[in-house]
Amino acid sequence: MVDKIQTQLTIDGYSSAQVATKKFPFRKIFNQSLLYGTLIFFSILSLLPFFWMISTSLMTASDAQVSRVLPTTVLQFQNYQSAWVEGNFGKYFMNSVIIASVTLTGMVVTSVLSGYAFARIKFYGRNFIFTALLATIMVPETVTLVPNYLTIRGNIFPLPLGNNTAWFEMGNSWYDLLPALTVPFMASVFSIFLLRQFFATIPDELWEAARIDGCGHFRFLITICLPIAKPAVFTVVLLGFVGSWNSFMWPIIITESETWRPLMMGLNNFVQDAGTRTHLLMAGACITIAPILVIYFIAQKSFTQGVATSGLKG
Amino acid sequence: MSMHDWRTRNMGYVEFANYSNIIGNWGGAFVLVCGFILLIFAYIFWTEAFTADREKWFFLRAFIAFIILGVGLFYIVYAWEMMINAPADSVRLLRYREAFFNSLIRTFYYAFGSIPIQLSLALLLAYVLFQNIRGRELFRMIFFMPYITPTVATAVVFGKIFAPGENSLINQFTRTLGGDAYRWLQERRPFLEVVFGWEIEGFFAGPSMALVAIIIVGIWSYTGYNAVIFLAGLGNIPKDLYEAARVDGASEWLIFRRITLPLISPVTYYLAILGFIGTFQAFNTIYVMRDTRVLDQVNTAALTIFDTFKVDGNYGYATAQSILLFVIILALTQVQRNLFEKRVFYG
Repeated sequence: MVDKIQTQLTIDGYSSAQVATKKFPFRKIFNQSLLYGTLIFFSILSLLPFFWMISTSLMTASDAQVSRVLPTTVLQFQNYQSAWVEGNFGKYFMNSVIIASVTLTGMVVTSVLSGYAFARIKFYGRNFIFTALLATIMVPETVTLVPNYLTIRGNIFPLPLGNNTAWFEMGNSWYDLLPALTVPFMASVFSIFLLRQFFATIPDELWEAARIDGCGHFRFLITICLPIAKPAVFTVVLLGFVGSWNSFMWPIIITESETWRPLMMGLNNFVQDAGTRTHLLMAGACITIAPILVIYFIAQKSFTQGVATSGLKG
Repeated sequence: MSMHDWRTRNMGYVEFANYSNIIGNWGGAFVLVCGFILLIFAYIFWTEAFTADREKWFFLRAFIAFIILGVGLFYIVYAWEMMINAPADSVRLLRYREAFFNSLIRTFYYAFGSIPIQLSLALLLAYVLFQNIRGRELFRMIFFMPYITPTVATAVVFGKIFAPGENSLINQFTRTLGGDAYRWLQERRPFLEVVFGWEIEGFFAGPSMALVAIIIVGIWSYTGYNAVIFLAGLGNIPKDLYEAARVDGASEWLIFRRITLPLISPVTYYLAILGFIGTFQAFNTIYVMRDTRVLDQVNTAALTIFDTFKVDGNYGYATAQSILLFVIILALTQVQRNLFEKRVFYG
């Protein structure tokens, strides 16, 4: 009887003898600590610049001079105020917000309409136009730089809403004006592509039902498609905002005065003004990064997925 | 547009003069293209030599591959010298040409200094994250943060981290490792010469110290992004393959080598192409981080085109340069597609 029970237990793997001889799981613990060690090491590498930036922005000038990692005195929150005033960040910040909101409004309107058209309306040459649009993604920004510049400056044809004070032969120009910074980015091939893919997944039955109830394309888009496509529109807005906030090369070539210069140019100019006062410069960098990081923390998931599927950033 | 003589206003046709001034010597350009074609042939011969059914001629084939490789390299070096030393219409145009050619070499350094490192680090991170890890979301968020940060702000912060002073963060680090304090972003001498004291001339001198600092920033920015995409790719590999391999008693390394690596290759290929095009376009980081004291030692192709356009106001020449750059990018991506896509396993 006892023997039988013993055998039974052994077969189940619970015999007392086995428990005693079972080794302490060194190997498993070693593996786990290796994995977590790698992750923590690389996390520190990723976060160190952020940490150093924030900590330097709260230092006194003398601490920042010798690039300490941690401040030795009370945290100097007034650095942010000095940087804000000295770097004129209020102005640049406002400019960036205006540029981003105008660009995003235009971009959402154009990409929703054209995304819907490419997905659900059959018209002559639809696929050809769509393929041509997609092909423009291949062309690098540097290649189109000069032609775009000349177009916006009014050399190719006179532009509406432009001013005529320009020193060029052709008349109305957008040089150094708000439209130059917003209108070229109102049509985004990526947004059109993303929304088209989304609208294409909406089943035909919905359209037929709406058609029977007397809906036209526009009403169907507004009342039925858009509510369904909310996540996709959200991704488009998110990535559009990041792209607009980060834009740097285009504002450099198309602006001359401070009137419409965005935040990134303000930060770049502040590098000269701050000079050796690293603590103020880091406070300025914090100010420019803050909106993006706040949005990232709030909408982290759709952010990561959106960027991961598109591979795009400004 | 590239055929006009632009200096802030349109001054009429110059036809191919802009292109001729960049290329210098059309014959040289032809030889250069031939050299690259020979390199491709060498690669094809080399891979053919390793196919199993032709083992008989292995050494002969490998030998031929080496010969073609040598001839191709000779052609390229010869054509390069021929083009860069050809006479130009003016000294200014000669300087432009040298700047453009050298910027292509620097772009090459930038691409090959950053892409392999960031891809392998990213694959390592993704592989680790893919294990049964607690807090995967948190780590993923942390690794993604450098990518989401505006590049100008990144460049400003790293500009201070790589400052030349004794006490800058990077120099504190190198000194604790027992090295010297370097001048980093203000150092225009080659990295190998500064750190190891190797005085090499020409192409093999490698990137300048300042460019190495910029490469490090590039690696820092893009590794996390690549890791997130690799992680998504790892999730798509069927689980039963791993289980089958484990039942057969394969070691973790063997599983990684024989299952993970081949099945992740489409993602690797995609990221490599993306990174490659990205390096040709890299502008923000370099523009903010470059110091006048390093002269043009950090100017990659995009920066050179920008300078020709914005600083010198020579629009026609800048457009010609950018169209040549576009042709180069197209050719390189086509070559990559035709040569390496065969080795990519799409399942």
